Amino acid sequence: MQKEESRTDLGTISIHKNVIASVASLAACEIDGVKRIGGDFKTGLLEFVGKKAYFAIKVQIDKNEEVNVDIPLVIKYGYNIPEVANKVQENVRRALEKMTDVLIKDINISVQGIEKA
Amino acid sequence: MRIFKILGILFYSGIIILVGLILIIIALNILQPQDINNLLVFMQDNPNSRIIMGLTGLLLTLISFSFAQLILGKFQREKTIAFTTASGEVTIALSAIEDLIKRLAVVVPEIKELRPDVIANKKGIIVDLRVVLKSEANIPELTARLQEITRMRIQEVLGLEEQIIIRIHVAKISASEEKDKRKKEPPEHPGIPFGGYGRI
Repeated sequence: MQKEESRTDLGTISIHKNVIASVASLAACEIDGVKRIGGDFKTGLLEFVGKKAYFAIKVQIDKNEEVNVDIPLVIKYGYNIPEVANKVQENVRRALEKMTDVLIKDINISVQGIEKA
Repeated sequence: MRIFKILGILFYSGIIILVGLILIIIALNILQPQDINNLLVFMQDNPNSRIIMGLTGLLLTLISFSFAQLILGKFQREKTIAFTTASGEVTIALSAIEDLIKRLAVVVPEIKELRPDVIANKKGIIVDLRVVLKSEANIPELTARLQEITRMRIQEVLGLEEQIIIRIHVAKISASEEKDKRKKEPPEHPGIPFGGYGRI
């Protein structure tokens, strides 16, 4: 799996894509109006066998070391979707920049469903 | 992609017709089981025909696998409404809007069942609502109210200025719950089977 890598005087620091996905997942769930991280059949199976929900988050690192994050979400009923999506994008960007220092290109949100709060 | 689908459908139709014909031939006793056995034994004995059989089997498996992926991939690709923000793209699955509309059935008590179908095209968002109403409902008033509530809810939640067309189809008017209950209630003194049997 691809890793985000940075070099220091002492050696290299590499951040696994799962770490970025995990940070993004936690930051997304912090926002009021987010019910849970969505996913497809495959991630549903992984969750069933005990894997974490961040497996549904796709992290892509391009040649310019820029990171694209795709987050599937299920929103709580009664919330304004664009507003929640915007807040998630901002919070995820803030959290990733603070914790990993990676260059973030796009944070794409895909609202998969609405569930009762 | 379309040509592959047509070829795939023709291929599978051909196979099914062939299987059907073989079954008919066996049923009419034109082809004896012994003949099939002889053919299979002949093919098994000849190394060249065994190679051809194996390769054909492999090819059929591969064709089936790729055809299944082509068909299922189409179903899996979900339709969405998308808009971009400064941080990236936001896509909303149409099924999410359907979930939202389903919850409206709770708001309007005259609705017994509500099945939404949402389509997004150049005209805007088209919502087809298939409703089952309770018998006491005033249909023109209720449908107008439902259209208004649905439009307002979608605009409020999506925050989009797209045109929303709401079409309502009243599929059924069901009997009121009281009538249903009365029907379901068991008789006060249910008769005992064979209760009077044997008594003089």
